[in-house]
Amino acid sequence: MDLGEFEADNSVSCRLASAIPDVCKTEDCCLGIDEAGRGPVLGPMVYGICFCPVAKKEDLKDLKVADSKTLTEAQREDLFRKLDEAKSFVGWALQILSPNTISTSMLQRSKYNLNALSHDAAIGLVQFALDSGVQLKEVFVDTVGPAEKYQEKLSQRFPGVEVTVRPKADSLFPIVSAASICAKVARDHSVKDWNFPEDLGEVDADYGSGYPSDPKTKAWLLKELDPVFGYPQFVRFSWSTTQTLLDSKAVTVHWDDDDEEDGEKAAARQNNTSMLSYFKAGSKTSAQQSNTHQTHRFFTERRLRSLATL
Amino acid sequence: MTTKKKRTPHSQNDRWVVVAADSAVETPKKDDSDPTFIRLRNPSTDAASLYLLGSGDVQLYEVKAFNEDFHSWFIGQTVQRDGRLLYVTPMDPLYLLLPYLIKAGKEGKFQPVDQVVMDEDFPACTRLLSCTRSQASLYHVAEEKEVGSLKFQRYSQERTMEWLKKKAERTVKTLRKSNISVGEGVKSTTYVRVKQESETQEEDYLRYAHGLISEYISEDLSKALLKHLQLPEHSSPKEVEPPSKKRKLTDKPLEAGEDYTKFNISDFSRKPPKKMSSAQKALAKVDKTGMKSMSAFFSPKGKAENK
Repeated sequence: MDLGEFEADNSVSCRLASAIPDVCKTEDCCLGIDEAGRGPVLGPMVYGICFCPVAKKEDLKDLKVADSKTLTEAQREDLFRKLDEAKSFVGWALQILSPNTISTSMLQRSKYNLNALSHDAAIGLVQFALDSGVQLKEVFVDTVGPAEKYQEKLSQRFPGVEVTVRPKADSLFPIVSAASICAKVARDHSVKDWNFPEDLGEVDADYGSGYPSDPKTKAWLLKELDPVFGYPQFVRFSWSTTQTLLDSKAVTVHWDDDDEEDGEKAAARQNNTSMLSYFKAGSKTSAQQSNTHQTHRFFTERRLRSLATL
Repeated sequence: MTTKKKRTPHSQNDRWVVVAADSAVETPKKDDSDPTFIRLRNPSTDAASLYLLGSGDVQLYEVKAFNEDFHSWFIGQTVQRDGRLLYVTPMDPLYLLLPYLIKAGKEGKFQPVDQVVMDEDFPACTRLLSCTRSQASLYHVAEEKEVGSLKFQRYSQERTMEWLKKKAERTVKTLRKSNISVGEGVKSTTYVRVKQESETQEEDYLRYAHGLISEYISEDLSKALLKHLQLPEHSSPKEVEPPSKKRKLTDKPLEAGEDYTKFNISDFSRKPPKKMSSAQKALAKVDKTGMKSMSAFFSPKGKAENK
């Protein structure tokens, strides 16, 4: 699998796809969706779709694709090679969500959670297949969150396509197994030789599986922590594992929006007058005004202050 | 290229990010002193403020800091916690000399200025007199007498007012040129505009300029200048408040289009029963039989401890 396009800039999301088999543009097709790397604190999350004509479903079984988790890495590699060789009727596409994308989405001001991110990646891939001319009739999805809600969401989004969302779909439907193999192989490749864009000097490549429970991953996270910057983009900052480490070991960073206290308390801290204070009995504010010098608004509006010391 | 970054010791005051006029930082000519930060009495607050004297004490600069929460600097390969941005801008030294002249002026005598400008708390204030503009511009705020080669000054309120008025007018010009919005904004809701729009605008500009200049003069001077500029005294927030909302209590119902009578009963001032939050309501419903009251736990020792 050639991940060159993603490796060129692994800070952003990237889509990789096979050529669209001609039969898929003329015959009714089924499509499977699965993901790899949802849980790890390191590396990207990969969404994969695989599609083939409904009539060729049996051929897929002959390839002996199975749930990627039951296979060894070598078996997965082998199966992916076979899938890629069956390009006359099998197509695939991948959405690689970089760890940086996951971090920035989940930690931005208006939070974009992992489920929404996953759903949108899946929807994007299905739309990509439709846009490429694949005659989609059936879509099989391994669920993220409650299956019924997800199924309803996808059915509404793609009228005319029969959507089936099932937990463990990757062991029930060969087309989902195939998608899961594509996703897993891409994830393995990208993590194995992660190309650190940061200037880190000698970086220890022994980070294990990337799951928070892996002792190797834990040790690596402890070792690579930078007090100011935290971690390279390889690490998902939005994971609680990361945040706990940053809270205890790194320099404290205050953000404008990490203060959840509201109303008068926050206003008092920011030296603002709360709206509420105007409705209080007795005018505390006017007393304050007479005591202290009121700086002209030219300066207060521009956040300019005189200094007593440097 | 180092793998582990060393943390520099936490020292806040060894570095600042400054925007300054070239003249403020230019290298001193021979025999001149370096530009220096000095603390002087702020004429408006009467407390210490930071200023900068350019090389050779030729020009005075004031120091203002842009300071907002949640800001830090990345400087080269380091991080600076203090996200302030200092501005060093030229300033008329006369503003700082004025309080000393006023103080001496109360004696009513003509005095040499170097005897007047003295301050135990801020001995550096004498250096203000070396600024090029200082000696030459004293006539703006003081009457002068020359005896031989000696000059004597006496503070003059009239001259000062004229000088400040010119300052205000120049400020208005600059405000207009720099498109600074001077409108009263929220405050204008209590401000009745009887004059024509353009005139009102003019007054807004002048009031704004007065406010700006008041940052550099004492409160007394600020009030005097307000009068001199013929601006109506700014009503204090208390006066701005609408007259008490409580109506005169009468027994007769009001004859109004709308029914206000319910507000017109004598027990209007009685407070409505306190509302309880849903949590409080839920708590109130709890069966409290056999439960100790909270205060029981804080009653004098003995009972509980002896058990």
